[in-house]
Amino acid sequence: MRLRRGTLWLGGLIVIVLALPLIVTSHFAIDIFIRVLLFAFIGVAWNLMGGYAKQLSLGHAAYFGLGAYTSTILLIRFDVSPWIGMLAGGIVATLASLPIGALCFRLRGPYFAISTIATAQVLMLLFLKFRDFAWGAEGTTMPNLGNAPLMMQFDAKSAYYYIALGMLALGLVITYAIERSWMGYYLVAVGEDEDAAEAIGVNAMRIKRQIYMISAFLTGMAGTFYVQYIYFIDPQTAFSFNISVEAALVSIVGGIGTLWGPVVGTVLLEATSALLQSWFGSSHGGVQLTVYSLILITVILWRPSGLLGVFTDAYERVVHAGRAHAREPTLDG
Amino acid sequence: MAEALIIRNISKRFGGLRAVQDLDFSVGEGETVALIGPNGAGKTTSFNLITGFHRPDSGSVLAFGRELVGLRPHDVCTHGLARTFQVARPFGRMTVLANVMTGAFLRSRKPEIARERARETIDFVGLSAKEHTAARDLTTIDQRRLEMARALATNPRLLLLDEVMAGLNPAEIDQAVALIGKLSKSGLTIVIVEHVMRAIMAVARHIVVLDHGQKIAEGTPKDVVANQDVIRAYLGTGYAHVATPGDGAC
Repeated sequence: MRLRRGTLWLGGLIVIVLALPLIVTSHFAIDIFIRVLLFAFIGVAWNLMGGYAKQLSLGHAAYFGLGAYTSTILLIRFDVSPWIGMLAGGIVATLASLPIGALCFRLRGPYFAISTIATAQVLMLLFLKFRDFAWGAEGTTMPNLGNAPLMMQFDAKSAYYYIALGMLALGLVITYAIERSWMGYYLVAVGEDEDAAEAIGVNAMRIKRQIYMISAFLTGMAGTFYVQYIYFIDPQTAFSFNISVEAALVSIVGGIGTLWGPVVGTVLLEATSALLQSWFGSSHGGVQLTVYSLILITVILWRPSGLLGVFTDAYERVVHAGRAHAREPTLDG
Repeated sequence: MAEALIIRNISKRFGGLRAVQDLDFSVGEGETVALIGPNGAGKTTSFNLITGFHRPDSGSVLAFGRELVGLRPHDVCTHGLARTFQVARPFGRMTVLANVMTGAFLRSRKPEIARERARETIDFVGLSAKEHTAARDLTTIDQRRLEMARALATNPRLLLLDEVMAGLNPAEIDQAVALIGKLSKSGLTIVIVEHVMRAIMAVARHIVVLDHGQKIAEGTPKDVVANQDVIRAYLGTGYAHVATPGDGAC
């Protein structure tokens, strides 16, 4: 019964998101939807590692940027389709996560977070210097090939929407599969208490390395998509600290270590940010950021375990008339 | 009797502190051995040295004929040694079942098999009624039970229990003693660190006494409680006059 209702909800959601670009045709709105899907996807990728295994990375821009640059270099220098570039970008990001992980995983807690910030910054500086093959600080625009689906370029904005939707779906399916397997248990165990996990045979170092690779791969894909979408790349955009922060923030606001947390978080944050922008953006520049920050602080004080709980609690209360409990999500057998 | 665990002259210094010095003892297969001594004697450090959490400066740890020095904790566990911690360390964000399944995944990656194995051990320690309770909501004794179940789910041949009875009331101590007895009967080799003398006398066939990182005595429970060095260093002179020890002596 429970399962059937869940399937129904999911089915309804799928129909709505698939139909959305057909109903809402305003370019402005679709642009916001694409941003939401993209950042939800990055959030999902971040959440695998930062949420389940509680390895708070603030350097995911490193993989985003590597994915973006890999596909762009392949496209402009070698005429390789960004579809292949996306895969290559993911692989480059995965490979980069190995030495970065080897260095950063020696540290725990806040020290780990700080070291990850440094890696993204170092990569940004490197790409600022690579003038010969990566265009240095001024960056470059993508060649406009018109409507070329095989080269990931489209006239219709809705095409980008469906690509981002597909990526998010992929991220969610991967998360779902991991959550239900031994890996999910091992990740949460490592996040809770690394030593206790080691004591019962969990190779903490290896599982962290593995999830970091998966997370980096997905984030690299997001980077490729983003630069293809905005037709422009430079180190400041590709390795922007904002991307690292946003990836963490949407998960934390939505519900860390949960399947839907990053999605809920992104929808709420992006919607709030877009609305504030349209209300205050033109009349009182800067006010929208202040209001946004205040909302963020309130939300985190009110629900430190994420807003997803608010919805599931309300759902329980209405549907099952059960007692709601505001608490951290718990992994059951 | 075959030896399950042979500790040979292990030493560990932390800066100027000699935490463990030339410790050696061995544990026969199926035997229950207790490690006792005053606070700071090096009991927990010995556990950490055996299970790979610390690396000894010198000496060797052989378990079932295999050298463990240099292995990391998860490798030690894979070789059949499971431990609990002095302060229970459950995974709070998981239910009892999920905690124990995490241990069971060491032997099988399949969730159904791990779940089944976990249920068996949860039942064994008597936690079945709380299978779906979040670990952070358990009482102290239930957290200890959970730690034991989680360790047992890894299918160990040797179980190291670090003060599982600390903080328990007398009735709970009896339950814990019964549980350890049951484990021992199932053929498991057990090394136990404990302060509750009553419990030690009930479960251990052999006792090793540590003081300032060194072994000061070793023998059957009867010999040990009569040993003058042990009385002076640990048990207290009250013990010199009682023939059969009563409740805890700390």
